[in-house]
Amino acid sequence: MSIAASVWAWFADGSHWQGADGIPTRLTEHLQLSAESLAIGAAIALPLGIALGHYGRFGTLAINISNIGRAVPSFGILVIAFQAFGLGDLPIVIALTALAIPPMVTNSYVALREVDPDIKDAARGMGYRDLAQLIRVELPLAVPLIMAGIRTSAVQVVATATLAALIAGGGFGRYIIDGFATLDYPRVISGALLVALLALATEIVLSACERLLVPKGIRLEMAPKLGRATTFKVA
Amino acid sequence: MIRKTRTFSLLTVAALVAFVAVACGSSPTPSGGSSSKGTITVAGFDFAESSILAQMYGQALEHNGYTVNYKLRLGKREVVAPAIKSGQIDLYPGYAATDLEYYNSGAGEASGDVAATAQKLNARLNPLGLEALTPSGAVDQNAFAVTKATQQKYNLTKLSDLASIGDQLVLGGPPECASRPFCQPGLEKTYGIHFKSFKSLDTDGALTRAALANNTIQVGLVFSSDSDLNKLGLVVLQDDKHLENADNVVPIIRQKAATADVKAILDKVDSNLTTAQLITLNGQVELNHQDPDAVARAFLQQHNYFS
Amino acid sequence: MAARLFLDEVDPWINWGWVSSHIPYIWDAVQQHIVLTVIALAAGLVISLPLGVAAHRSILRLPVVGFFGAFYTIPSLALFAVLVPFTGIATTTTAEIPLIGYNVLILIRNVIVGLDAVPRDVLDAADGMGYRPLARLLRVEMPLALPSIFAGLRVATVSTIGLITITAVIGLGGLGQLINQGLQESFHSPLVVATALSIALALFADLALAGGQRMALPWARSR
Repeated sequence: MSIAASVWAWFADGSHWQGADGIPTRLTEHLQLSAESLAIGAAIALPLGIALGHYGRFGTLAINISNIGRAVPSFGILVIAFQAFGLGDLPIVIALTALAIPPMVTNSYVALREVDPDIKDAARGMGYRDLAQLIRVELPLAVPLIMAGIRTSAVQVVATATLAALIAGGGFGRYIIDGFATLDYPRVISGALLVALLALATEIVLSACERLLVPKGIRLEMAPKLGRATTFKVA
Repeated sequence: MIRKTRTFSLLTVAALVAFVAVACGSSPTPSGGSSSKGTITVAGFDFAESSILAQMYGQALEHNGYTVNYKLRLGKREVVAPAIKSGQIDLYPGYAATDLEYYNSGAGEASGDVAATAQKLNARLNPLGLEALTPSGAVDQNAFAVTKATQQKYNLTKLSDLASIGDQLVLGGPPECASRPFCQPGLEKTYGIHFKSFKSLDTDGALTRAALANNTIQVGLVFSSDSDLNKLGLVVLQDDKHLENADNVVPIIRQKAATADVKAILDKVDSNLTTAQLITLNGQVELNHQDPDAVARAFLQQHNYFS
Repeated sequence: MAARLFLDEVDPWINWGWVSSHIPYIWDAVQQHIVLTVIALAAGLVISLPLGVAAHRSILRLPVVGFFGAFYTIPSLALFAVLVPFTGIATTTTAEIPLIGYNVLILIRNVIVGLDAVPRDVLDAADGMGYRPLARLLRVEMPLALPSIFAGLRVATVSTIGLITITAVIGLGGLGQLINQGLQESFHSPLVVATALSIALALFADLALAGGQRMALPWARSR
C-alpha cells in the first residue's frame, strides 16, 4: 500500500475516532493544553506588555524578551517542568505558558510604543485622563499588533504541545511518539497532519478574529507590519 | 557608537572562528591504521543497563585492539533491529527470549530453557546474517510492579492475583507494550488480565515511576534487574505462570563481525556477569548517577580483564 | 569505585561536581550541536539564495513558498521519526533534512521580501548605468536585500539550535542527549546544564550574527 493510501486508511478506520486514543479525545486534549497555556500566558503578558509600552519603561528588555524566549529549547523546558512539578497536565501548561509569554509581551510593548505621539497629544488636549487615554485611544490602535503577537504565540503553543507526549502528555503528539515506537508510520504521519491542520486552523481563526476586531482603516495602514504567524519554528 | 561597533565586530569574528574551529575539529579522527584490528559499531537500547552492557562489550573490544564506535541510547528494538540488519550497527546486547520473540514475530518459541531459546534464536538470526553468541548467566526480564499501597489494598503477591481485578487497574509502560508478547498481550493470554486501560509512558524510566507514585497507573512495567525498586517502595509481582522466559543477556552480532577473536572476547565478558552484579551495576547508574562507561570500566577492571 | 556518592539523596538542580567531571562529555554534545547547526544553516543558505532569486521574479514564487510553507507546518518530531526507515537512525541525514527544509522556508521568504524591497528607481538607475542582469543582481540587489536575509538567518539559527534538541528522540540530539539522559535517569544536572547551554548558544549566535550584520552593512546601521 502506498504511503498516501495507508494514511487515508488510518483516517478511514472507525476505531481511530473513538475512545481514549481516538482523534476527538486527542484533539480535546491538545486544544485544552494549548488554550489553557495561551489564556494564562495572555493574562500575564498582555497587561505587562501594554503597561510597559504605555509608560515606555524597560523597553530593551521588552523587545528582547521574545529573542530570549525563542532561544529556549522546548524539549528542555518541558522536562524541567516535569522534574519540578511531576506528571500530568500542570507541568505541560506551565512550560507552554512560559513559551507563550515572550512574543505577546514584545508585540504588546511595540504596539503601544508605535501609537503616533501626535494622537496621544491630541487626546490629552481633548481632556482624556491617563487611563481613559489608554483604553479609548491607544489600545484600539494597538490591537492589530497585539493580535499578531497572540496569533504567533498560539501557533507556537499548538506546535509545542506536540512535544508534551515526551513527558506522558496527551494530544496529537501521542500518535507521533507511540507510532514511532511501534513502527506504525501511518499513525506518525496522521499525527503530523493533524497537528499541521490544527496549527493552520488556529492561524486562520485568529486572523479572522483580528479582522473582526480591527477597523478597516487601521488594518490597511498596518498591513505591512503584520504577516504570517508561522514565522518561527519551535517544535 | 564606534566602540560598540568594534565590540560587535570582534564578537562576530570570535564567533566565526569558534564555530569553524568546532566544526572542523569535531570531524571524526580516521579510524584504524595498522594497529587496529577493525572497526565495530556497538549500539544500546534506550535504558541505562543497555548502555552499561554496550560499554562493557565495547571497552573489552577496544582493549583488545579494535576500534569501537558507540551508538548508545539508540532506541527500542524496533529501531535497533533494522539497524543491525542493514549493517548500520554491528553489535548490541540483546535478551535471549525477547529477541527470539521479536525476530520470530511473536511465534511463542521462547521457554525457560536458555540453551534451547538461544538455539532457536540463532535459527532465526542466521538467515539474516546475524548471530547470537553464548548467553550470559545474567538475566533481565520484564517485571510488573505495583506500589506498596496497591499491594496492600488488593492483597497482591503474584500476577495471577490481578486476573479478577484487572478491569479496575491501569497498566503503564512503553508504547510498544500494548503489542509485545511479553507485555500486555501476554498478560491477557497467559493470566487472563484485562486492564481498564493502557497508558503509554517510557521504557522503565522516570515517567513510569512517577505514574506509579501518583496513581495514574496501578501496574507498571519495570525490569527485573532494576536497583531502585525497593527505594521507591515498589513491589514486583511474582510471575507465577512464567510468562517471562529466559531473558539472559546475549550479544547479537553481525556474522561478518563475529570472528573467533571477537567471540572469545565477548564470551569472556558475559561469562563473568551475574544477575546480582547487573543489579549492582544498574544501581551505580540509577541511584548514584555514575556514568555507564565508568561503571563498565570498573567492572572490567575488577575482573582483571585489563591485566 | 568503592566511593558511593549518593547523589540521589540530595540532587541539586546543577551539581557542579558532576559538571566539572564531565566537561569532555558536555563539550562533545556542544560540538555535535554546533556541527548540526552549521550544516543546516549552510545548506539552507545554499538552497534558498538561488531558489529565492529565481522565484522572486517568476511564477514559481507561489508554489515554491507554498511548498516549503506546507513543509514548515509539519511538526519536526514527526519528520525525524518518518525519515528513520529511509535515512537511518541517529544519522546526520535524518536530522538534517527537516532542519534544512525549515531553514529554507525562513530564508527564502526573507530573500524574496528583501529583493522585493529594492526600490524600482534603484533598479532603473543600475540598468541605466549599464549593469547587465547578473551584475545588477550581485552588486546592487543582493547587497540591498542583505538586511532582510540577515534577519532571516538570525531567526533560522535560533530556531535550528532549539530544534536540534528534539533529535535526541532519534538517537542524536547534541545537547538534547543530555536532556534525554536527565529525563530518563531522573537526574537534574545534565538537563539543566544542557538547557542553559542551548539558550546560551542560541543567544551567542544571534548576537554574533547581529554583529556580522553591522560589519557587513555599514550603511544599514540604525539606532
